[in-house]
Amino acid sequence: MTLYFFLALIMLLFLFQLVLLLYLTRRKKERQRYEEEIEQQYIHLTEPFSSYIMDPSDVRFLYAIRTISHKEVVLERLLNGYVAFTKGANISPLVKQLSEEFLTDLYSQILNQRNWAKRINALHYIEDFHMLSLSPMLLKKIIETHKLDAETQQLVRTLASLNETRVIAELQRFPAVPSRLYVDIFGRLQKESASKEIETALKGTDAALKHAALVFIGQSGALSFLPFVEQELENQQVETRIQALKTIFRLEYLSDPDLIEPFFESSHWTERMFAARIAGILQLSRYKKTLSTLLGDSVWWVRYSAAEAYTRFSDGDMLLAHLSENHPDRYGRDMAAQWRTYRSGGART
Amino acid sequence: MNLFFLFLSYIIIAYMLLSSLSYIALFLLAFRKVYRESELDPRETTEDLAGNERTFPVSILVPAYNEEVGVVSTVRSLLALEYPEKEIVVIDDGSKDQTSARMIEEFQMTEIPFAVRTYLKTADIKGIYQSSIFPYIRLIKKENGGKADALNAGINLSSYPYFCAIDGDSILENDALLKTMKPIIESDGQIIVTGGSVRIANGSTISRSKVELINLPTNPIVIMQIIEYFRAFLIGRLALSRLNILLIVSGAFGVFHKERVIRAGGYNVKTVGEDMELVVRLHRLLREEKSKQRIEYIPDPVCWTEAPESLDVLRSQRIRWQRGLFETLWTHKKMIFNPSYGSVGLLSMPYFLFVELLGAVFELCGYFIIAGGFFFSLIDPKVAGILFLVTIFYGSLISALAVLLEELTLHKYPKVSHLVRLYGWALTETFWYRPFMIIWRVQGIIAAFRKKQHWGDMKRKGIST
Repeated sequence: MTLYFFLALIMLLFLFQLVLLLYLTRRKKERQRYEEEIEQQYIHLTEPFSSYIMDPSDVRFLYAIRTISHKEVVLERLLNGYVAFTKGANISPLVKQLSEEFLTDLYSQILNQRNWAKRINALHYIEDFHMLSLSPMLLKKIIETHKLDAETQQLVRTLASLNETRVIAELQRFPAVPSRLYVDIFGRLQKESASKEIETALKGTDAALKHAALVFIGQSGALSFLPFVEQELENQQVETRIQALKTIFRLEYLSDPDLIEPFFESSHWTERMFAARIAGILQLSRYKKTLSTLLGDSVWWVRYSAAEAYTRFSDGDMLLAHLSENHPDRYGRDMAAQWRTYRSGGART
Repeated sequence: MNLFFLFLSYIIIAYMLLSSLSYIALFLLAFRKVYRESELDPRETTEDLAGNERTFPVSILVPAYNEEVGVVSTVRSLLALEYPEKEIVVIDDGSKDQTSARMIEEFQMTEIPFAVRTYLKTADIKGIYQSSIFPYIRLIKKENGGKADALNAGINLSSYPYFCAIDGDSILENDALLKTMKPIIESDGQIIVTGGSVRIANGSTISRSKVELINLPTNPIVIMQIIEYFRAFLIGRLALSRLNILLIVSGAFGVFHKERVIRAGGYNVKTVGEDMELVVRLHRLLREEKSKQRIEYIPDPVCWTEAPESLDVLRSQRIRWQRGLFETLWTHKKMIFNPSYGSVGLLSMPYFLFVELLGAVFELCGYFIIAGGFFFSLIDPKVAGILFLVTIFYGSLISALAVLLEELTLHKYPKVSHLVRLYGWALTETFWYRPFMIIWRVQGIIAAFRKKQHWGDMKRKGIST
């Protein structure tokens, strides 16, 4: 009886698997056929598409796209390929126009569907194609949402890419918003809007927003904000001061070299490290002696940055050679010796 | 005597049924996330990070011992990785072949003085080299000290806040680092380790260090290992990761927060399962510090590795793995069933003890009793029959299910024939592949008591052309 029970159970499971196998085999075949069809149509339309993008008077593509069965998918792939190729540097008005005409309805539907992956993909594509017409719908979505999950974060980025500044206020409804999200917003807004929002952020009290503004200034090299950044060097919060130092390092500019002097003797090693880096990147000769002191610092990173700073000076090689022999600290001598031949920096792609 | 074997049979039947149910429960836990994410456009999800300056720089550590065949192609594949900022540190752990010479010649390396921070104590460093064409490629030549020691030396030399440990024979997909770093970046430091899914490269076409065409190998030993990977990764690791109790991040590819690892004491040189031991130790520290930081696993295949093609090499690999598992569980035995370690102590550690480690012992007894029952009247043949059926269920049907579930979610093997072949081979597992595994895993437990340490001695053909 029990043996037969187990036999029946195993047979049942095996049969279930066979049915599943058959279903998956069929699904795989159908998907392959579907992919082949799309691939065929894609290849067929690639040349007219390129031609249309180069010269909008060549309207063969506009006729052809209307005649194919998978027009949305094929167009999405063509536009995606084009945007990836141009790295979105200059969004062609034709990309906006084509996507608005053929994909607006599709994406409106998808955004209300239950399929999470499709919704996320649609948000990315709306951003890539700059589909402004969907902005009100997306804004409504973010107003209604109460959870800062992966989808909401992408929604925020997409809206920012459509130059919707209200996302910042909407984002501030959530507790503990990561600073990186604000940086993403600044990077996506149009230059004028971004500048306005950065100024507001620097004048405000929201630490995450202020840090994001400082990060973005450093990344984008927005020198016009330098006075604000230098002002933050006197901030009571260590994290904000460090962020301001980082930004100055990235900007490679400082209105008054005296401003970093107190940081060489800071009790926070990160501040000493950035002071050394700034002295190097700005080639502030007056701090050469101070750098020698930092070369014997108790923290490895400070010694490392001090020695690296010497390599920026025209006589850096000579100074490092001297220090590798004569620095009073053994670790300082080792570090100086390393930087005589060492080349820093990772692969930046 | 017969009563004893009968009783043992019931225990084994119950064990196998419970283990199978645990597999299915684990899969159900992971299914939603895998299924949900399977349709995501992979380029879109990583494109933002690729050009983002806030993407943390990563040091890639490649420990190598007698890897003259694969080390250059591995480094070349790393050069092609899409990532904003990285450095590559190859650690030649006293190889007896031309590993260092190949690196020095290929990348025009010269010896440099280097003020290495000795966060972690290692065997003596013989020299540090830097490439003159790619300055961010460095080579450490050191005395032999084992893989863990080599990784520790790499940690000491690395400059960045995160490091990625990979095997000398691994080929990473272009966006592997981006995909693996994504959870770390998006969690704002709450995730301290991420493991990526490792796939077997045998059979696939890899040229210029890129996987061009995914195909199945013809060697059944390798096919069975692919099925095993499905079973382990898809059914086990994903669910454990969701519960934040994942204990293994493959040595073939994982990203770690360096400071955390240094605080934990680095890799343990006294075990052959250094990857698992480190992850367990990190869990232990996180729980002791009541930290909310996590260890996560991503389902996307990001790393391709060469699987053993001969039974000899496979045997030595499995003995080493099992020994590593035993040593880790033994080192951290205090955590097992200890409520102070939360779900790691109450769920994960017992799971690895009873399913992953002692499973082989149970199964070996099962095979013994089946043979005894059928041929020597050791137990009632009906009970032996039930045990036989349950063994098929546990061995073959669960593996076949893993194949189907892979197709349902990730479907990475492109052809229908791949699916059918994988399924067919999975059904044969109980009858030839599993007995080998069981014997070797038991040998691994025995080897743990002998304590003879060595790198794996796999003969590599090289997987990239």
